[in-house]
Amino acid sequence: MLPACKQLDLPPSDAIDATKAFRNLEDVNMGVLGAYAPMTTSVIEAVAIVSDEVMLPTENTVSNTSSHRWLYNSSSGSVTSAFYEYYVTIDRANQVLAAIPNIPTNGSMQSLMNQYEGELLALRAYCHFELLRAYASSYEPDGMGVPYMKEHEVIYPARPTVQANFDDINTDLAAAKALIPGGFSDNTRITKTALSAIQARVALYAKKWDDAIAYASEVIAAEPLAPKNDFAKIWTDESEAEVVWKLARVAGDSRLGAAFFRETGEIVLYAPAFKLIDGFGTTAQRADDIRFASYIKYDPARGASGAKSAYLVNKYASGLVPNAPGLTSVKLFRTGEMYLIRAEAALEKDNSAAGIAAATKDLNDLRAARIYNYVHVTFPDKQSLINAILNERYKELAFEGHRFFDLKRRNLPVERRTEDAINTSGAVKLETTAAQYCFPIPEDELFVNKNMIQNPHYGEEQK
Amino acid sequence: MHIDNDAYTRERAQNLLRHIGRISLKTIWLMKLILFLTVFFTWSAFAEVSAQKVNLRVQNTSFKSVVQQVQQQTGYSFIIRDELFQQAKPVSLDIQDREVLEILPSLFQGQPFGYAVKGKIISATALKKQASSTDNHRSNAAAQQAIRGRVVNAQGEPLSGVTIYVLDSTGKPTTTVATSTDAGTFTINANTDDQLMLSHLAYFSKTVTAGLESPLNIVLQEKENLIDEVVVTGYTDYVRSKSPSATAQVGAQDINRVPMSSLDQILQGKVPGMNVISSSGQPGQSASVVIRGIGSVNGTNSPLYVMDGVPIEAGYFQTINPEDIETVNVLKDASAKSLYGSRGSNGVIVITTKKGKKGRLNVNYSSQYGFSTLTQPTFDMMDSRERLRFEEEVGLETGRDIGPGWTLSPKNSNYATQSAAWQQNANHVLDSLSAMNTDWRDLFFQDGRFMEQQLSLSGGNENVQTYNSLSLWNEDGIVKETGLNRYSLRSNTNMNYGKFTAGINLNLGYSNSRFTYNEGGTGVGSPMASVYYALPYEYPYTADGAFHATDADMPFYDTREGSRGIDVLYGTSDKTEQFKTILGVNMAYEILEGLKITTRAGIDFRNSVDQVFINPLSYIGKNQSGKKGSFEEGYRRNFNLISTSGITYNKTIDKHELELSGFFEYLQSNYKAFSYRGYGLDDRLPENPNAITVSTDYLPSLDGSRSASAMLSYMGIGRYTYDNKYTATASYRYDGASLSSVPAKNRWHGFYSFGAAWDAKQEDFLKSADFVSVLRLRASYGQTASPIGSSFTHLSLYAANTTYNGQSAIRPSNLVNPDYDWEYVDEFNIGVDLSLFNTQRIKLVADWYNKVTMNMFLDQTPSATAGGGSGGTIPLSTGKMGNKGIEFSLSGDIIQNRDFNWNIGINGAYNQNKILRVNDITDELADGDTRIIKVGLPYGTYYGPVWAGVNPDNGDALYYNQDGSITNVYNAEEQSVPLSSNMFPKFTGGISSSWRWKDLTLSTLFSFVTDVQRWNNIDFYIETERYMTSNQSKRMLYDRWKKPGDVALLQRIDVPRNYTSKDIQDASFLRLRNVQLNYSIPTAWLRKTFLKTANIFVQGQNLLTWTSWRGLDPENNRQYGRFEYPNARKYTAGIQVDF
Repeated sequence: MLPACKQLDLPPSDAIDATKAFRNLEDVNMGVLGAYAPMTTSVIEAVAIVSDEVMLPTENTVSNTSSHRWLYNSSSGSVTSAFYEYYVTIDRANQVLAAIPNIPTNGSMQSLMNQYEGELLALRAYCHFELLRAYASSYEPDGMGVPYMKEHEVIYPARPTVQANFDDINTDLAAAKALIPGGFSDNTRITKTALSAIQARVALYAKKWDDAIAYASEVIAAEPLAPKNDFAKIWTDESEAEVVWKLARVAGDSRLGAAFFRETGEIVLYAPAFKLIDGFGTTAQRADDIRFASYIKYDPARGASGAKSAYLVNKYASGLVPNAPGLTSVKLFRTGEMYLIRAEAALEKDNSAAGIAAATKDLNDLRAARIYNYVHVTFPDKQSLINAILNERYKELAFEGHRFFDLKRRNLPVERRTEDAINTSGAVKLETTAAQYCFPIPEDELFVNKNMIQNPHYGEEQK
Repeated sequence: MHIDNDAYTRERAQNLLRHIGRISLKTIWLMKLILFLTVFFTWSAFAEVSAQKVNLRVQNTSFKSVVQQVQQQTGYSFIIRDELFQQAKPVSLDIQDREVLEILPSLFQGQPFGYAVKGKIISATALKKQASSTDNHRSNAAAQQAIRGRVVNAQGEPLSGVTIYVLDSTGKPTTTVATSTDAGTFTINANTDDQLMLSHLAYFSKTVTAGLESPLNIVLQEKENLIDEVVVTGYTDYVRSKSPSATAQVGAQDINRVPMSSLDQILQGKVPGMNVISSSGQPGQSASVVIRGIGSVNGTNSPLYVMDGVPIEAGYFQTINPEDIETVNVLKDASAKSLYGSRGSNGVIVITTKKGKKGRLNVNYSSQYGFSTLTQPTFDMMDSRERLRFEEEVGLETGRDIGPGWTLSPKNSNYATQSAAWQQNANHVLDSLSAMNTDWRDLFFQDGRFMEQQLSLSGGNENVQTYNSLSLWNEDGIVKETGLNRYSLRSNTNMNYGKFTAGINLNLGYSNSRFTYNEGGTGVGSPMASVYYALPYEYPYTADGAFHATDADMPFYDTREGSRGIDVLYGTSDKTEQFKTILGVNMAYEILEGLKITTRAGIDFRNSVDQVFINPLSYIGKNQSGKKGSFEEGYRRNFNLISTSGITYNKTIDKHELELSGFFEYLQSNYKAFSYRGYGLDDRLPENPNAITVSTDYLPSLDGSRSASAMLSYMGIGRYTYDNKYTATASYRYDGASLSSVPAKNRWHGFYSFGAAWDAKQEDFLKSADFVSVLRLRASYGQTASPIGSSFTHLSLYAANTTYNGQSAIRPSNLVNPDYDWEYVDEFNIGVDLSLFNTQRIKLVADWYNKVTMNMFLDQTPSATAGGGSGGTIPLSTGKMGNKGIEFSLSGDIIQNRDFNWNIGINGAYNQNKILRVNDITDELADGDTRIIKVGLPYGTYYGPVWAGVNPDNGDALYYNQDGSITNVYNAEEQSVPLSSNMFPKFTGGISSSWRWKDLTLSTLFSFVTDVQRWNNIDFYIETERYMTSNQSKRMLYDRWKKPGDVALLQRIDVPRNYTSKDIQDASFLRLRNVQLNYSIPTAWLRKTFLKTANIFVQGQNLLTWTSWRGLDPENNRQYGRFEYPNARKYTAGIQVDF
């Protein structure tokens, strides 16, 4: 009855049949790039908006500002979208990892295949770590972590503990480190140095001080701090100094700078907080600190009318592509952070004089690299040094997606100054007990995944 | 045999059949009649009967015997009741070599009944008045003369089968009767001052004076709402009394002239159970058409459109001229739809275009002009004074500065600290701002002009008939810079040479649509949103006429949102040109009597060329990549091919009537798209690809797509009728889908139907009941499916359209269900057709159906961990959904008299939908962000937290927890519940009415939709603290909580606004869809002109709407109401003439 109807065997022509997607090394490389491609900056943006890094200027009449006012909940895309985005990269990495064993390789190709496999494992670990930073109920071992996906599966997983997440992350990172060759140096991808940097940051959050010191030292040895003359060029993509891993952004890609400044209408969406600006000290001190002008633009003419912000976030203002404001690569790891990780770890590991001395040295070394006419300082006790390190992280890593998590790591409230909160209808202090102290698991996930548990305090009566 | 009349002829024949329904047919006539009625497509089963002449020499022979002789000599059939034969008087005739029609007056002379001719059927017509006055009349015979005349319809087409009576002095019909021929002509003996009454079941009767002119030229106005007589499915044409199908027919008079450019929109309110809701007020935009409730959640929802046997794309009617359409048949139940197997479950709309008719050239010209205007929304935005007061209140209540009303307010503590000069200036500014009141609707909307011209030529000879038309349509939208131009051409040719018949139908169309940029967008600069966002004290131009899109060059106190909308309105263009060709060729050959082979082929080809231009000199152009505008152009090309071949056999033996058909069908669909977008335009070369600069800094983008799908089908259809009373039908269709739809293992699926019909009127106990003129019962059951998408959802795919760091990459592009299978629909239907009184004065068609969608396509949202991203879904085929309902159409002539006639028709449908199954794992799925698919609830149920009002003590927004307690904390995932509101209407319908007084006709059409709610998303933007720097509705000023004790509609100004049940609002409406007043100029006035008929008319569209919906337009099929293009109110006036 049924003829073998050739007319009905019309194959897909807009897409590649998955069984033919990975034939050789080159295909695998395309798969790896496909996993890097959706890497997102939404956590960086969200951290700035919900922390004390930015203030909401009156001229921003166009944004949904609920997140800035700590009114977000499980249906607020600005803080929940990353939950979906990182799992996309994780899943892509897993699908390529699953294909790799089926591709024949010979000796000379094996090294490259190893590199790809290592990159994918590292990417998977890093994305889970970013999810952990944003969505874990706390960073303590018994906190609720995030599902760790080791293969492509359609399942409805529950939340493992934070400790289980750290274990999986470290396993993947260690496996990756054995695979990625030392000679691989493309800093738009995960190199062996980038892997050390990821390990250092993970160790800091896991409070593995020895590991943090060791891995941070690996990075510092491999990639020295930028010379003062090059520092500003890092942010315009003219210098690769101390950039350990960055997300490449080329013409047509998404623009991180657009989160702070909307070109259409020339609206400052979020301006640097006065708290941050003042953190750089007096006008003279700001002039000496090469970070200030790199991060913050002061435009008195703009602010003259009073209706517009005179201060703008300068960190992502422009890159190599002309006429593309806000289009710059996204620096995920820099050596500067490694000094601060090592300082903090050294101090936490050993808060005796030796620890204080080691931490103070790293802090002074970093400051000396950033500030003209810098005079080394000393610290009387651990707490003052911890405060100084935390404050230095606030400045050094401003708008790089750390501040909110640094406070959370230290169980400190988010506090804004009055002048930064003029348009927040009273959102001045976010207590550590508030639901919003952790980002919420998205509503859609809770709806479909009955094993998923929301972070504490969401839906409770607000004080 | 005249091919040109096809459906038309059959319909009239059936009228006659029923009209003299109480007859027992002689077998031989019955056989002929059945053969006549069971024509296939546009071909009759009859062989051409040569026009044989009649030779008779009879003396006092029985009428019955003479009739039998005439019948044997010619191809004509007689339908006459036995009791009439008994009454008939003997006949004496001597006739040599005469045409049948010529001898009929002699044959029927003196008989106690008249006759009517329809095609090849001659039937007896009972005379209302028996012979008492006949003698008187006959005595005047000497003064009589042969009055000749011609009867046409309003379109100037000849009407055959019209009975012409001579009236006596009391206005009663005498026995002098004639019947119009195929060419519409008649001859009757009458005195010049006699009144002639022209009567036809499908037309309003008309009385004229015999000697008014010579020859008489008479136009009859068509009656609406007759129970249609032939069920046209596209594969079979069954007489309605022998069809179990639930179908409805819309005729040309309801389609032509309506000043709406899209055919689907014209059908609103005309067919019970077919809900038509526009998608936009943009001229030419198609509507969403849903027949008998939503039958598929993720599959195709729109019905299948078939035009002259060629399936055409739904939603692309921009180039089809509704004036070319003769009838639209809507197939609603399984017995009719299952012929279309896997494409029919959403209903089939069978469109038949006009055909040429034998006879002289007929030229029809029509023209109408008009304009359209904006209807008034039910919400009001603040004016300047209110806005400034609002800004001041917000400042006082929260300290927040949202505008000059607070910045410059004397109540602001800052005011006192300023210099006297500053204060004086501030007062002055506030004064001048409050004096400036811009109504932004004046800047974005317009009164759109409308023009239509249409010319058709038709005619033909015995063997070839053609219909050709040209039309031109120009319509401006009510939003500035929008509109539609259309040019269309149709050419239909039919041929018949003996046993061979053929037809060619061609439609060529071109349309050019101009759209508004980003309709429904909520961002600043979307013109449709700017109308409402813009502050009333803003004006885009300064006193010197300069335009300012921002405050870069000059400080403004406003946000420039309206000006940015103006910039976009004039700085961009968004156009689509559509070229469409529909071509169908069909042929048939009758091998033996009753055995016929047919074949047809058709294509539906569309090429849409889209162009989006952003002017480099505009502000939005300066914000494009490269800062100098952009130019985007692309095509979308759709090509559908169908080929159907088959064989049909029919046979009648005694009371048994059988028709069998078998078909093989192949369908192919190819889609191609390509587009590019370039930047850096040279402003000296606008709207041209050569203006593009190719630079590595802003590379042009390229995009495209290719897809192909196909289907093979085998089918068999059978019908058996016993004694004209009982009919049983069955069909089976075996469809094979191509790989893009289902995996090879699920490729084939069979669809079937069974039906039964009982023509109760044919039973002895009803035959003589004058009160009931039609009574039929129908039942059917069967299985159909809606077309499955062609997206390879069962096959894991990788896409190559991604890059990282400028290098090409690949990515998995879907979440896969390898077991994807057909979605199909089981449907049961019972129905009744009832007409009361001889003239079918009251007609009722009612149906009840139960429809269950099995294996329903649902999109399961997986956990984020599956990697599908936000909104990623897995296609399932596991659901089950039911629709059941009743539908009816009831019409009647309330007043029926010679000069005045009032007809009213009501149609309605009630549909109940219910989700019966989701899948094994879950009983519910989120459906978008405001709805839920949940077992036991209807599809389209809204889902969200329930609004509990505003706390009078502190102005907090209150929400219900699931346990019924009230809280001020919004928590969507804990508080959301299914709301008792639904986006799909339960009860829909239309009310039409026409009044005819002599040559003046007034017709109205109302359409209504009830039990439907929509998400009013406009409130979310115009009643929110979040966007209160933009203009807000007056309710934000007058109806919000301000101080303890206020019982307010809206919460305290600093409390965030969240989505709750209060955003789901009733969108029921009753709309006066169309009012038309037509005047047919009396033919007497036209006698000295070259015109045959002439009509002048005025009409209004969407004149009145009753609704409680707060958004822009209740009639819109989007799930939310949000700055959409509202439907316009339209007024037109025109003429229609025949030469």
